[in-house]
Amino acid sequence: MKKELPLTNIIRHTLIVFFMLTILLPLAWVLLLSIKSMPDSMRGSLWPRKFDFNHYAYVFEKIDTLPQNLFNSIYVTSATVLITSVCAVLAGYAIVHLKPKGSLFLVTVLVLSLYFPTRVVSIISVYEIQDYLSLINSTNGLILPYITLNLAVSVLIMRSIFQLVPGELIDSARMDGAGPWRTLWLIGIPLAKNGLVVIIIVNFVTAWGEYLLAATLTNDQEVRTMPVVLASAQGGMGQWAWPRIAAVYVIVVLPGIIAFAMAQKLFFKGLMEGALKT
Amino acid sequence: MSQDLLQATLLWLLTRGETAKVTTGNLAINGPTPKSWLVEHNNWVFLLPTVLFFLWYQVYPIVRVVWISFTDYKYLTNDPANWVGFDNYVEVLSDPLMWDSLGRAAYFTAMFLPGTIIIPLLLAVLIHGVQNQRLATVYRVILLIPAVIPSTLVFVLWKWMYNYQIGPINHFLVEVTGWFTYRNAPQWLGGTDLTLPSVAIMEVWWGLGYHSVFFLAGLAAIPKDLPEAARIDGAGEWQVFWHIILPRLQPIMLILVILRFGTSMGVIDEYLIFGGFNRESPTYTWTIFMYDQAFKTGLWRQGFAAAIGMVGSLAMMVFVTWLIYIFRSRD
Repeated sequence: MKKELPLTNIIRHTLIVFFMLTILLPLAWVLLLSIKSMPDSMRGSLWPRKFDFNHYAYVFEKIDTLPQNLFNSIYVTSATVLITSVCAVLAGYAIVHLKPKGSLFLVTVLVLSLYFPTRVVSIISVYEIQDYLSLINSTNGLILPYITLNLAVSVLIMRSIFQLVPGELIDSARMDGAGPWRTLWLIGIPLAKNGLVVIIIVNFVTAWGEYLLAATLTNDQEVRTMPVVLASAQGGMGQWAWPRIAAVYVIVVLPGIIAFAMAQKLFFKGLMEGALKT
Repeated sequence: MSQDLLQATLLWLLTRGETAKVTTGNLAINGPTPKSWLVEHNNWVFLLPTVLFFLWYQVYPIVRVVWISFTDYKYLTNDPANWVGFDNYVEVLSDPLMWDSLGRAAYFTAMFLPGTIIIPLLLAVLIHGVQNQRLATVYRVILLIPAVIPSTLVFVLWKWMYNYQIGPINHFLVEVTGWFTYRNAPQWLGGTDLTLPSVAIMEVWWGLGYHSVFFLAGLAAIPKDLPEAARIDGAGEWQVFWHIILPRLQPIMLILVILRFGTSMGVIDEYLIFGGFNRESPTYTWTIFMYDQAFKTGLWRQGFAAAIGMVGSLAMMVFVTWLIYIFRSRD
């Protein structure tokens, strides 16, 4: 490697830092908004003149449906992530190492579904399906359509990851008399850890923030999830004053960022190995 | 271009030339003994949950929407749906609003697509040249932060950013720089001419980090000696970028262009949150038109809405096929 000229280096880092600030500033602003005093919140400036840390306690005490909404979100998201991940791991493993008849066709259909605006167009009949199963306006009902939001992508990512697992390893386990299930459990999953992190995070992010289905398939405030509540909250005075909405926002946005911060190495590796091949 | 060729192209994109191995490799890997029926069955159990959910909430709904689009089906009435043939399609295609709303989506795509490809590409090239490993890691982590912010939270955040009263953007333009006063400060949202550009800026911001990571992966895969050799031969940085780096990033670009084209033509949540259902608003695209007809206007004309959805998606598919065809003919 040759050393760069100091000037090029300075320009390079200045430009990068500018982009990094572009990414971070909006988030910093909303974080600061949530600890601004009321009068300060009516100004757009970044740094408050007076801090007020009471908004977090306030939203949980005074907005009565909020804990319920938060619970709904956690519940729907956990169920979605769990079921989708199980489906994707099983399918990805089978497509690569068991190769049942028709798996190539399945992969083709999954890929095609990525190019078709399925989510938008299917909303008409998904409403109908949910209505038929009397799942309209129920938190449980959201889980089923959520599972398929990222199912295709998740299966394809797991497939790419399992392609990196050498077939000899799987075969040798088979020679030792392990069935396909035990092979997957003992050899496949430990080696596909990075991909698993990626699909867990991707599915978490999608389900945690889904708006279209949640807003269409539910009506009552207490069965709704956090994104719908946030999107319909109009800033202003009273219960939903700006800093209070911002506090709710921070509560909702933090879990994803924390999870990512903890698993960022695995996430990055998994992206490089799996997601970027599909 | 035939469907087979399209499928083959997609598979080629997906597997990067592994297709041949997959189709012919079955026999080679599993040896000469054909699998027994029982084993075959057991293997299918692995695919069952995926196939089941996929059929139930992706394949069936689309097939159903296709069927609905040929009928006068309405939820709210108990009348049985009647087959009306292409009536819905005729009505949709002769409705100027359909063309306007498709045009709006296309206009948005034309604004959003270049920004979401070119800016991350530049940023990735910049970061790729960072020699301090620790800094490179910090940059990478920051890059992926927006990618883990759920969609709705991005939209809500930017709705506040653009807010005329407390939004930091207008605060900056008025109080800090003094370029505007509160009377003539730009109206970003609310169906003005700036609304679609505002949404495009937001989407570019959202994809900036994630797409940069895509390009970083592509850059990492380029053998180091290629650009080095060119430099020794006296090629300038621009020539190296143009003739050596860019051609090797083309597959990643193609995938991004196609996927993001699909995203941006099919945007709906953002418009629901920002725009509402004003037919004059630039955010009233074909997706909102469809949603409006299906759920909002009180008529609940599912047949008509389904036809809107089909016309919109078919227009998209035709364009995507054309994109793939263009890129393929250059290989």
